[in-house]
Amino acid sequence: MSDAFGIDLSALQAFQQAIAVTSNNVANANTPGYDEESINLTTAAPQTVGFGGVPIGDGVSVAGVSRAYSQAATNQLNTSQSSLGQLNALQNYTSQIDNLFGTTAAGLSTALQTYYNGWSTVADDPTSTAARQALLGDANALASNINSTSTQLNSLNSDVNSGIVADVQQINSIATSIATLNQQIANNASSGSGQAPNQLLDQRDQLVSNLSQLVGVTTSTDSNGALNVFVGNGQPLVLQGVTTTLTTIPDQFNASQLDISTSTSDGNSINSSITSGDLGGLLAARSQAINPALNQLGQIATALAQSANTQQNAGMNLNGQLGANMFSVGAPLATASSLNTDNTHATVSISNIGSLTSDNYLLAYSAGAYKLTDTTTGANVPLTGAGTALSPLSAAGLSIVLSATPAAGDQFLIQPTAQAAGTLSVALTDPSRIAAAAAVQTSAANTNTGSGTIGPATVQNAANPALLNTTTITFLSPTTYSVNGAGSFAYTSGGTISLNGWQTKISGTPALGDVFTVQSNAGATGDNTNALASASQQAQGILSNGTTSVAGAVSALITGVGSQAEQVNTAQTAQSAVNTQAQTAVSSVSGVNLDQEAANLVQWQQSYQAAAQALTIANSLFTSFMDSINGTYS
Amino acid sequence: MRITQGMEQAQFLSSLNQLESNIAQTQNQISTGLSFTTASQNPVDAGLVANYSAALAQSQQYTSNANAAQTDLNTEDTALTQVQSQLQSLRDLALEANSGSVSSQNLTAIAAQATQIQSSLLSLANTQNGNGDYIFAGNAAQTLPFALTATGASYAGDQGQQQVQIAAGLTVATGDNGNVVFNQIKTGNGTFTVTPSAANAGSGVIGATTVSNPAAYTGGSYSIDFTAPNTYRVLDAAPPHTVVTFGTYTSGQTIAFSGLQVTLSGQPAAGDSFAVAPSSDQSIFTTVQNLVTALQAGNATPTAKTQLSNSIAAAINNIDQALSQTSTVQAGVGGRLNLITTQLSVATSQQTQLQTSITSLQGLNYASAVTSLDSQNTTLSAAMQAFTLTQQLSLFKYIS
Repeated sequence: MSDAFGIDLSALQAFQQAIAVTSNNVANANTPGYDEESINLTTAAPQTVGFGGVPIGDGVSVAGVSRAYSQAATNQLNTSQSSLGQLNALQNYTSQIDNLFGTTAAGLSTALQTYYNGWSTVADDPTSTAARQALLGDANALASNINSTSTQLNSLNSDVNSGIVADVQQINSIATSIATLNQQIANNASSGSGQAPNQLLDQRDQLVSNLSQLVGVTTSTDSNGALNVFVGNGQPLVLQGVTTTLTTIPDQFNASQLDISTSTSDGNSINSSITSGDLGGLLAARSQAINPALNQLGQIATALAQSANTQQNAGMNLNGQLGANMFSVGAPLATASSLNTDNTHATVSISNIGSLTSDNYLLAYSAGAYKLTDTTTGANVPLTGAGTALSPLSAAGLSIVLSATPAAGDQFLIQPTAQAAGTLSVALTDPSRIAAAAAVQTSAANTNTGSGTIGPATVQNAANPALLNTTTITFLSPTTYSVNGAGSFAYTSGGTISLNGWQTKISGTPALGDVFTVQSNAGATGDNTNALASASQQAQGILSNGTTSVAGAVSALITGVGSQAEQVNTAQTAQSAVNTQAQTAVSSVSGVNLDQEAANLVQWQQSYQAAAQALTIANSLFTSFMDSINGTYS
Repeated sequence: MRITQGMEQAQFLSSLNQLESNIAQTQNQISTGLSFTTASQNPVDAGLVANYSAALAQSQQYTSNANAAQTDLNTEDTALTQVQSQLQSLRDLALEANSGSVSSQNLTAIAAQATQIQSSLLSLANTQNGNGDYIFAGNAAQTLPFALTATGASYAGDQGQQQVQIAAGLTVATGDNGNVVFNQIKTGNGTFTVTPSAANAGSGVIGATTVSNPAAYTGGSYSIDFTAPNTYRVLDAAPPHTVVTFGTYTSGQTIAFSGLQVTLSGQPAAGDSFAVAPSSDQSIFTTVQNLVTALQAGNATPTAKTQLSNSIAAAINNIDQALSQTSTVQAGVGGRLNLITTQLSVATSQQTQLQTSITSLQGLNYASAVTSLDSQNTTLSAAMQAFTLTQQLSLFKYIS
């Protein structure tokens, strides 16, 4: 009889524990990272040999509690979370940039169009101060639109910095927690209890999952149960109970931008290996979305300023002076690496706007030679020149002069347009100083008897000091002429005559003694030649070797930004779906199904009731036996 | 597959978010009337819309330029019409003075009227437009172009001509400088002039002058000399003064040489001469001044009378040239006005076209937007209902 009591007791205890495990499942149904647990029951080893030598079991025993866990599904989820984290962070920025540029209303295109229309209005009525004032207003509105866009892009870069700092802190804190858990798990293993520390494992898995949202990680498990975590290209973050700290360092070329490093990387950036997770997304947003947009905007600002200034310089203002610059814009940036071993610095200017790109370039000096790499395409850019003031290095529309011969291994980052958008401003304040007129005018004497006519003079070199001098072209015969009474030059109808920085054409058949004059256009306040030319720059190809106008570049920028945002949106949506799949897979293995738990509860309850009933029966059997003995001896 | 309640809830939440963001986007479309508001929603069409909008704004600027040009050209057209009417009056006065029966007093009165016309012409030449710019000053728009001098008028403007852009690659001049309109007027018949010597004693009067053979006239100067009242010879003015032709003269005779024909009448005296020279430019103001001076000189003596006749004939020639010059300029103005009118109508239809294209790309199809909003709402409420229903399914409800 006593074996029946023992068996029943073991069953009651086992089913109590089973009900406890089930209740624990129900209690943790909504706990993140909780893996459904189940009780492992085994038959207890037979301890008594029954009547006739037949072994009878000794009840049930609890072998342990195991958790429903799939390493493959978990790894998949972690990887997918890293990708999603990266895309979420990137999308946050691309959609902000997309909104920043908008489409049509109040955007950059409109401001640019208004500016060019302002020139047209000045051309309609060059003497009107109101029209000139309006043009200055339009130019200021355009500059401030570009400035504020640049400010907002820069503030996005500050956001990226804050995000990087926050991510790095969180990653370090998670890494520390994982290391602590590793120690506890290892201790548990060495204690030899043989029972898996399910709660610790759940916690650690959840931490790895959180970590993988911040940065892509790979893991490996040691024999003592410790989990080693690696980031990037296998830089260790957690090894057993030891962590390597992630740090932020200022970029070697741009101290305002933070790079990622580790406590063991000697201050070297590991940016290039961080490609996923929130951290990867932040770095991608900076290098693929924010900085390119700033550079392209800067390229637009540079092209606008340079083309407008060149045209201004070739014209004459209301006061009879040659036009001064309309816009001022920051020069290309050239930063020496903080790792350079000497103080050589580079000065970069734009020599050819048509070849100017929105890319950044890395100038490296080693083995007595310069090497220029486009950091966007990675392509090597052929250089000419020696890097001196007399023979500047020349490539990609840039002219580079170094202050001295650099030390071997020195590097310089050249950002031709990075600061242009932020520094664009209108240099003119006085409406009368807008050069709406041509600098020089041509005229034919009324006493001319031939049929020769002189065309307008165009300015080829506004810097020529003699540009505004009066030049008299007198015909010595129908085929020869003198200039300012000197020389005898052969005349061809329609041929170009160049002098003092201007160029004009005389055509037809002039007669002996015919006189043509080229002189300063001072006083020609109604002349709109230069205003017309400035207005027509709207359609003039300036960038990309004269194939892209400023307006074209703006529209390409807006479309490019929009396409990028769309691409990221699409990728994010797709990755979300992938992530849901991965989550479902994990949840399908490890999640708690309440109906299942309810069924289990009923099952355990019934088993418990049955065991209790068995105990009652054993008890009544024992009572009957005692009663019969009592009857015999009484 | 094993489904867990947590999974169901997470999936419901995520699809709820998606559905609600779709509804928000459709609502945004309906409230703005635009099918997309940022480039990312439709990069290709957004690029096109940006280009079309730029083209539209440019076309509207061209229209505004064309309107400004139209105003300027209309001002010039009016001024030119008045100039012609003044020149016509001057011509009538000159004819009246040349009728032969006019007394010296009348000549003085006619001279006064001619002076009046000169003032009117001056004021017309200094016409200002609505902005206060002198329309006949070339590019020197704020400089008073014409001021009277003893021999006519000085010109302080320049030879520039304002252009405005009225279409891509098409500019139109908005005016003509005063030099072209008032100064560059050919003397004589436009090719050559015949001027009597101031010392002429006879009554030889210059009549019609024509170019009979343009190819034969090389632009030389000649002198028609009378060696006797009935004998003339024509000398080349350039050394060695070769005799080009000679002959016997009778009044009303046409003398022809070197492709030119000159008709003289009256009776020149021996030693009288008439200079033939290629036409040069003469200001209309000089023409009027010369006429006034000649009228004021009177017709008291036969010599004076002959000189007056010759002066008036020369003045009429010059006035005719001025009339022809202003008509030519005015015809140009009319041509440009026509061009502008055509271009304005082209621009209008172009703008309509662009506007239509923009609307068709970016404008919202309300019917489809409202329909999709409706279906999105239906989906959302169905999803909510389905979730509520499945949440009610729990085995725990049946365990008692």
